Order: sequence, then C-alpha cells, then structure tokens
Amino acid sequence: MAAAPVDPARPARPAPTGPPLPSARSRQRLTTGPVFLLMVVVALVMLYPFYYLLNNAFRNQTQYDQQHGHSVAGWTQLFQNLPVGSELLNSTIVCAAAIVIILVVSTSSGFAFAKLRYRGSGTVFLLVVAALMVPLQSIIIPEYVNMAKFNLVSSYTGAVLVYAALGTPFATFLMATYYRGISDELIEAAVMDGLSYERTFLQIALPLSLPAIATITVLQFIQIWDDLLVGLLFLPTNDRTITVGLAALSSGRTTSIPVLMAGSLISAVPAIGVYLIFQRHLVKGLTLGMGK
Amino acid sequence: MAASRLTRRRRRAGILLSLPAVALVIAFLGVPIGQAIYYSMTSWNGLTSTWIGPSTYSTALSDPIFWRVLENNALLLLCIPFALGIPLGIAALLNEHVRGWRFFRSVYFLPTAVSWVVIGMVALQFFAADGTLNKLLADLGLGSTATDMLAGSHSALAALAITFVWSMLGTNTIIFLTGMATLDPTLIEAARVDGLARRQIFVRVTLPLLTRFIQFAFVITVISAFSALFSLIFVMTGGGPGLGTTTLEFFVYQTGFAQGQFGTGALYGIILFVIMIFVGLVQLRLIKPADEEGS
Repeated sequence: MAAAPVDPARPARPAPTGPPLPSARSRQRLTTGPVFLLMVVVALVMLYPFYYLLNNAFRNQTQYDQQHGHSVAGWTQLFQNLPVGSELLNSTIVCAAAIVIILVVSTSSGFAFAKLRYRGSGTVFLLVVAALMVPLQSIIIPEYVNMAKFNLVSSYTGAVLVYAALGTPFATFLMATYYRGISDELIEAAVMDGLSYERTFLQIALPLSLPAIATITVLQFIQIWDDLLVGLLFLPTNDRTITVGLAALSSGRTTSIPVLMAGSLISAVPAIGVYLIFQRHLVKGLTLGMGK
Repeated sequence: MAASRLTRRRRRAGILLSLPAVALVIAFLGVPIGQAIYYSMTSWNGLTSTWIGPSTYSTALSDPIFWRVLENNALLLLCIPFALGIPLGIAALLNEHVRGWRFFRSVYFLPTAVSWVVIGMVALQFFAADGTLNKLLADLGLGSTATDMLAGSHSALAALAITFVWSMLGTNTIIFLTGMATLDPTLIEAARVDGLARRQIFVRVTLPLLTRFIQFAFVITVISAFSALFSLIFVMTGGGPGLGTTTLEFFVYQTGFAQGQFGTGALYGIILFVIMIFVGLVQLRLIKPADEEGS
C-alpha cells in the first residue's frame, strides 16, 4: 500500500489567495498531535484485554482478589485441570488435516473453474460459492445426526470433514479468482508441449499460486483453531481442541479466574503468533473477499 | 479433429478436478440443508421423525418465545452504526498518514486472531459486578453509576454488543482503508482547490465513493452479528439472564441440543438461513458488476 503522504504537486499548484502553504502546514501540525493521541487511546482500548490476560494469568486467587503480586500458581492448577498438552496437539492435528483437505480440493477445483471450463461449470461454481451463505447453525442439527449415524463423532474425522466443507466455498472462490489472473496462453502452451491438463495444474499453475495458498492456510488456521461449536459437538471429550477444552472449563464456573486466564493465554498464543507473522495474508484474504 | 480431442480432454480434466470440492460441499453442506428443510416440518428427536407439514412454521411463528429471541437479533442491529461508524472515522484519520499508522492498523486488527472464547472470558471479567468497568467508574468518581451489566437482560445484550463492536473494529477499519486506497487523490485535491473544508470533502467526495465498501462492511457485520456470536454468548452469558442474550443462532443450539427438539431446532435454523439469504442478496448485487467485468 502506497503511503504517499504530502503530495509532490503542491508547489506547482497555483496560489490564488494569500499564502496557502504556511496555513496548510500549521493546520496539519495542529491535527497531527491530537489525532496521534486519539489513535494511541484506541490502541490502548484494543490492547487492554491482552494486558489483562498477561497480568492475571500469573496470579493465584488471593493475588487476583487483591490485584497485587504475581505467581505461577494458576499455571500449575491449569495443567492439573486441563490436559493442555494433548489438547494443543488435538488442535494442531484437526487444523492440519482440515487445511490439507481444503487446499487439495480448492486448488484443483479453483483451477478447473478458472481454466478448464465445461458446460455448466459456471453454474456449479456459483453453487459451490453460494454455500458460503449457509450459516453453520442452519445445518448443524442434521449434520450432527448424520455424523452420529456413520459413527464419525467418536474421532477427529467428523470435525475435520465439517471444517473442511465449511472452508471450501471461500477457498475455492479465492483460488478461482487467483487462477483467472494466470494467462490462458501459459496453460495452452504447456498442453501443446505434451503435458496433460492435470499435470499442467500440478507443475505449472500450483507453484504459481503459493501466495493464495498461504492466504487460505492462515485464514483457515485461525478460523479452525478458534472455533467452538463444531468442536463441541463433533469431537469426543478426549479429542477436544484447546478452545473447546477452555470453554468447557469456563462453563464449570468453579474454576478460578487466574486459571482461566492462563488457559486463555496459552490457547490464544499460537493464533496470535500466526497473525503477527502472516498478517499480510489475512488482510489480503479479506480484501480478496471484497472482489478487489 | 485434434482440437476437439483437446476440448474433450480439457472438459474431462475440468470435471475431474472440480469433483472433490463439489462432492464435499454437497455431502456436508448441501444435503444437510435439504434435510433441515425436510425435518423442519417434522417432529424429530434425532432418531425417529413424524411428518407434520408446513404447519410447523405457523406454530413456531406464533410462539412468543420465538419473537422474544428475534427481538434480541433486532436489538443487536442497533450496534451496527457504531460497528461501522467508529472504524470509518478511524480509517479516515489513519488515511491521513498519522505517524505509525501501519502499527495502529496491526494493533486494531489483532482481535481477529483471538477466539470468541478468549474474548468472552476477558469481557466477562470486564463487565462483572466487581469487574474492571465498575472499578474504572469508581476511580472516575462515578461509583454510583456502577451496575452489574450481565444481570439485566437488556444491559447484558448491550455488553455483548459492545464486545462485538470492539472485535469488529479492526476488520471494518481495514475494509475502509482498502477502499480509501482506491480513491483517486486528484479528486480530493480538486475538492480542496475548490475550497471545500476537510469535513465537507469527507462527506461529499470520500463517502459517496466508498459506498461499495460500506455496503460490504455492513453485510459482513450483520452476518457476523447473526451467525458468528455463538461462542461469545456461550462463554459470556449462556443466553441469559432468562432469554436476554439468546439470539436466533443460540436458540437453534438450545432447542436442538439442550431440549432435544431437533425438528424445531432445524426450523429455526432454516429461518436464520432465510434471513442470511436476504442480507446476502445485498452483497450479491455488490459483487455482480465486478464479476461481469472479470469474465
């Protein structure tokens, strides 16, 4: 994004009345101070919960009540109440499996919809993308009953499949948009050289689409890592993700607040880390969603 | 002859490569929505169902509890002007290239990475009777205004809405910043030369050019308010006090999984879907021109 601040055209601009330059400058100086301060205040409001988490995760109940002093008592208790290690592992496995499925089906179908059009492919594409409009709550009851019927709620499988299906419409839309930007000549040239369309996809198009793949991975990682509803219903108790485990712990209402804050902190750290490293991709995913 | 063989090969590859995505979407999104429509007209406990017919809808629509829940959805819409207005103001200011605007943008967007469960957990402590908000009010000498927001049904919904506006701030700010980056600077400059004040330029030049982005932010915000707050409600209020913070999406879960009325739950889910389609039509009108351009 171009940050071009003061326009270079200003000196060339005719100055019809009086001296415009000094007044414009002083006006800018006047507003920059208060505006900067205002932005700092908003930043503090946005960062406050993170400060609160950090501050209270390292306390015991008494220290919390007095809002004074720090200790790691909450953490010891957290590890007793919540299988943190295995739940972090469950989160990782579920995220990874769902993301792999989403990437496989969205890259291949995105390429097909963009470059290998067949009769009716436009309609099929629209149908897939229209599935974006289906709220999870509208299908969750039949979905749950179906999965239970096929015995898929006793392992990761059910949750992974639901996450994959939920992520596919947007990912397909994003990949198709991306592949449309690749020239048809490039694809046709590869086919003329004797590659099959499938190989052209794998060897030519797929490597070119790494940026879009990164965007989908980051978006989906945060989405699935942070989800509660699907995990709550489709994962058996010992296969719970950290977000589900934490919500279950909090709904007990007997757990002390420092313990919950410690749990919140540890569950939030991986997603925040991914955000800080890859935020460029998140922003791009959002703007691509706007059709820009 | 060779060309037609190539066309055939291309068509076959196209069908083959698009098949997995189509199958996944049909099996896990398409079929369940069809089932939800069917079962919404039955009495269903998950194992056995009895057909009743479309009259289930008139029964549900005459239930005062349903309207009480829908009222919460409507009340939640009252926060939309804040969820859009505040980010619009922030984006306008950041767009003037305040020192460190990139840093501010990152900080404002940070809640996007954090789960509603964690956000709800902190919000719960913030709004609690002995929580941060009341301590803050006491420090400001406004101790008499201290209330337990989560104890009253309207104030609990307000607490939920404030948390929602807070977490949407970054997303909407980024949408508006993206929109502002597409504006032609010479237009703004021309307006300035014509002697328009900053505020006038913003209202008369910038805002009309941002319409598409404002609509997009509106759609995203309404969709999130109606279908993404399950976890926040689950952690913060559990839908209470009473039905105070039970929105339609939470009601689906309650009816289906807490009360075991799967048919009625599916019905509420279908009503939610219809509302979402209605909101989505706004967006469809938005992306259509861009699509026609592309193909």
